[in-house]
Amino acid sequence: MLTPQETKNLEKTTQQVRKNVLREIKAGRMGHIGGALSIAEIITVLYFRIMNIDPKKPGMCDRDRFVLSAGHKCLALYAVLAERGFFDHAVLDTYGSLGSKLPGHPDMHKLPGIESNTGALGHGLSIAGGMAMGLKMDGLGSKVYVIMGDGELAEGSNWEAASASSHHKLDNMLVFVDRNRLQISGRTVAVMSYEPLEERWRSFGWGTRVIDGHDIGAIVKSAEEFPFEKGKPSVVIANTIKSKGISFAEGRVDFHYWKANEEEIRQAQEDFAVIDRRLEE
Amino acid sequence: MSESKDPRQTFGEALVEVGAKYSNTVAISADSSGGSGMTPFKEKFPDRHLEFGIMEQGVIGFASGLATTGKIPFVVAIAPFVTARPFEMFRNDLGYMRQNVKVVGRCAGISYSDLGPTHQSLDDVALTRTIPGVTVLNPGDPVEIKKVVHAAADITGPCYIKIGKEKMPVLFEEDYPFELGKGVMVRDGKDVTVIATGTLFSKAHTAAWELAKEGIDVRLIDIHTLKPFDKDIVLKAANETGKIVTVEEHYLAGGLGSIVCETLACEGVFAKVKMIGIDDQFASNGPYEDLLGLYGMQPEQIRKTVKELLG
Repeated sequence: MLTPQETKNLEKTTQQVRKNVLREIKAGRMGHIGGALSIAEIITVLYFRIMNIDPKKPGMCDRDRFVLSAGHKCLALYAVLAERGFFDHAVLDTYGSLGSKLPGHPDMHKLPGIESNTGALGHGLSIAGGMAMGLKMDGLGSKVYVIMGDGELAEGSNWEAASASSHHKLDNMLVFVDRNRLQISGRTVAVMSYEPLEERWRSFGWGTRVIDGHDIGAIVKSAEEFPFEKGKPSVVIANTIKSKGISFAEGRVDFHYWKANEEEIRQAQEDFAVIDRRLEE
Repeated sequence: MSESKDPRQTFGEALVEVGAKYSNTVAISADSSGGSGMTPFKEKFPDRHLEFGIMEQGVIGFASGLATTGKIPFVVAIAPFVTARPFEMFRNDLGYMRQNVKVVGRCAGISYSDLGPTHQSLDDVALTRTIPGVTVLNPGDPVEIKKVVHAAADITGPCYIKIGKEKMPVLFEEDYPFELGKGVMVRDGKDVTVIATGTLFSKAHTAAWELAKEGIDVRLIDIHTLKPFDKDIVLKAANETGKIVTVEEHYLAGGLGSIVCETLACEGVFAKVKMIGIDDQFASNGPYEDLLGLYGMQPEQIRKTVKELLG
């Protein structure tokens, strides 16, 4: 349970993460903005409230793990890692440059705090499941957190991992499905329907919950209360808005990948300034 | 002929030894444990035997995740189902992530001769050797199977080990000099070099000694490590014999023959080369030895190819 001040602080940190994402876009002039902004609250809550991590000891064996299965949302991962102190903010300005430590999909060997190389969709859940299994075998209480995209759910390999995770009773794993309802070709359920989504996960043996993915209180509550059912992996279906926070891009499919011009960046900065003022009230 | 041993049983014995040596070894089965020789491991280390059912993409990711927690996973199944099918998982989750996972493709080549091309694996070396950082191993007899399994466990990083199905004659002594990444000159010779790998090493071995009886001085090289590749032994053979026959249960594209020719061309060393393998086609089906005969892989056919090269 959060105090009003704790909620406010997490909102402010989320806003800083969004600004870091925009900083990366400004540096690289293009990138997967939509999904990076739709997961901003979830990833901020995980890194600033939930996970047992230490930026000074990124390899400590009993740390919690985070796997960004939808690796293209990595602008948010880089943004939150910088904000949490895993590396200097100046690294964010290298996005898009030759040999940058911030490729368009994350590389665990380039930066501290990145746990897996994702990007090809449908890989993250299996990798996370292996982590959860290994941590259990070692008797560690560590948890594994995953963010998946909703479009990504069309990959069949996810459902292999979903089966194995429930078969092996990986109740130390919590998945957030970023249901922003859009993918590159249009509305996700029109491209390839995943409905009924909650029932689908439940039928695979998972504990489920549906929340507003921008509601910090609901995210914290879910993460603090999982596993939702004893002996089962847990999934939160988080309803979100793609490109959340940038007025002209919110809920628009053409901002899945943004080739930004000066005017758009200026407008986005103005939108963020409005949010900043509101948060200071 | 010397004693013969089942390669899968031999692999299983080696895995038990590795499991005793490294307590973080885990065996991963995709409904493939019994057929892969892993029953003794399962009986001895039940908590370290993980079953996933017929989940041949997912197991690679799970193995990668397990490796991030310090485990040494051995993923073992029929060769195409751990190479061609989950290739992207192998490339990204093991190769790109540099995870300490050992993938073992058993019943490789055309050893599932009766089951047809879906179960045969003639491209596994070609596929796995393109992945940066992956060690590719193809042992030539039961003694060498044990050597490569131990060697794979001893190094950190992803490995692919290819083994067959049919019994293999024991050709090496237990204490023969084995070094990862180094070919083995089994017989010295000046007239021509036969370079063989994996299941067909024994066929080449028979051919070489028969040729020797005919007065042809054959050099015989066993290649158990296809990557990293022992260029020196091939260049020396080319310089000293000028003629090379490669022998493998694999497509001509991308396997041992390709590697030998790439090595010669890139180093500017000339040798006449004939490659024994399967050309651009899906293999036929039928009894294993008959199938090998169909593709020129029996000892008398290898002899004939060598003689043709000699002119």
